[in-house]
Amino acid sequence: MEYAIQLVTAFTGSVGFSLLFNVRRGKLLLAGLGGVLAWGVYLLSGLWLEWDVPRFFLASLVLTLYAEIMARLRKTPATVFLVSASIPLIPGGSLYTTMRYAVESRWAEFSAQGTDTLLLAAAIAGGMMCMMAILHAVYKILVATEHIIRE
Amino acid sequence: MCEQSNPSAVRYANRYLYLALTIGERMLCSGAEVSRVEDSIRRICKSYGAVQVDVFTITSSIVVTIYGQGFGTVTQTRRISTLENDLDRLEQLNSLSRRIVAEHLPLTQVQAELDGIAAGPRYTFFQQVMIYALISASFALFFGGSGWDALASACIGAALRFVDAAVRWMDLNSILSALVCAGVGGLLAYVSVRLGFGDSVDMISIGNVMLLIPGIKLTNSLRDLFNGDTISGLLRFLEALLVAVIIAFGFVIAGQIGG
Repeated sequence: MEYAIQLVTAFTGSVGFSLLFNVRRGKLLLAGLGGVLAWGVYLLSGLWLEWDVPRFFLASLVLTLYAEIMARLRKTPATVFLVSASIPLIPGGSLYTTMRYAVESRWAEFSAQGTDTLLLAAAIAGGMMCMMAILHAVYKILVATEHIIRE
Repeated sequence: MCEQSNPSAVRYANRYLYLALTIGERMLCSGAEVSRVEDSIRRICKSYGAVQVDVFTITSSIVVTIYGQGFGTVTQTRRISTLENDLDRLEQLNSLSRRIVAEHLPLTQVQAELDGIAAGPRYTFFQQVMIYALISASFALFFGGSGWDALASACIGAALRFVDAAVRWMDLNSILSALVCAGVGGLLAYVSVRLGFGDSVDMISIGNVMLLIPGIKLTNSLRDLFNGDTISGLLRFLEALLVAVIIAFGFVIAGQIGG
C-alpha cells in the first residue's frame, strides 16, 4: 500500500513539475511515467540491495536511459524528460531532516544525515553521468561502424 | 582575414549574429545546457556563411566572434539576467535552430518565428496556483504524510505561488527569495498544525520543500559539468545547492520559532 501511494504520487509529482516547466500535451504523460519508472527501479532494487545509495544510482541510470530514448523518439531535448522524472529521486526529505538536526543542535545525527543526503545526491549525479558516457560511446561506435560498412 | 571588408556584408553578418545570439540567449534562459547553446549558435552562424565561429558561454553571458570573407571579424556580447525554465519554448527554439541550418531560412522569417515562439502559450496564474498545490500534496504523501498533511501542504503550496509573485515583484535575488518563501511556508505549516489542520509540521513542510528545490538547475549543472563546461557547471551547482540548503533551513527554523 505504501509503495502504491509512492508510485502514484511520484507520477503526479513528476507531472506537476513538468506542468510547472511548461511541458505540454503527450510529453506530460511520458515525463510522469519516467518518474514512476525511476521510483519503481528504486523500490524493485530493494529486493537485493539494502543500502539506498546504489539503489539511487541504479534508478538514475535507468531514468537517464529512458530520458535519452524518449528525447530521440520525440525529437526534443532530453532535459524535458530528465528534469521532471528525476524529481522523485531528489532527496528533499533527507535534506529537510538534516537541517532539522542542525537547528536542534543534534550534531552527531546532523553529520550522519548530512553525509547521507550528499551521498544520495552524488549517486543520482553519478548515475546520470555514467549513462550519458555509455550512450555517448555507443553513439560513437554506431557512427563508426556505419562508416566502415559504407566503405 | 584582413582583406577589405564590404559594408553590406558587415551589416548582414551583424544581423544574423544578432539573431543567433537572441536564439542562444532564449535557449539558455529557458533551461538549456551550455553546450546546446554554443552548438546552436555555431551552426546557425556557419549556415549563414561565417567561416569560423568562436562562442563562449557562461551562466550569465554569451560572447561570439565570427570570421568570414567579405566582412572580416564581427563580435557581439549578450548579458543574460533572467531564468524562466520554459521547456516548451526550449523545444521550439531547438527545432527552429535545426530548421535554420537545414532549410537556410531568410532572416526576416527567423525574426517572425522568434516572435511567435515568445508569444507561445503559458499556463495562467490560476493554473500555476493549482500546479503548486498538486506538487506539494504529491510529495507530502510521497514522504509518508497523512491525507490531512497533503491537504494542508497543498493549501500552503498554493499560498506560496502568491508569495513567489510578491518576491518577484520586489526583485529579490534567488537566495533571498528562497529564504522568504521558505520562512513563510514554515510558519504557515506550524500555524496550520496548531489550528488542527494537518498532523505533522515536518510532512507538510517536506511537500513544500520539494516544490521549491531548484530541480532544473541541479540537473543542468551536472550535465554542464559532464560536458566539460566546468565554470558554468560549478556556478550553477553551487547556487542550486545553496538555494536547496537555505530552503530546507528556512522551513525548519520557521517551524521551530513557532513551537
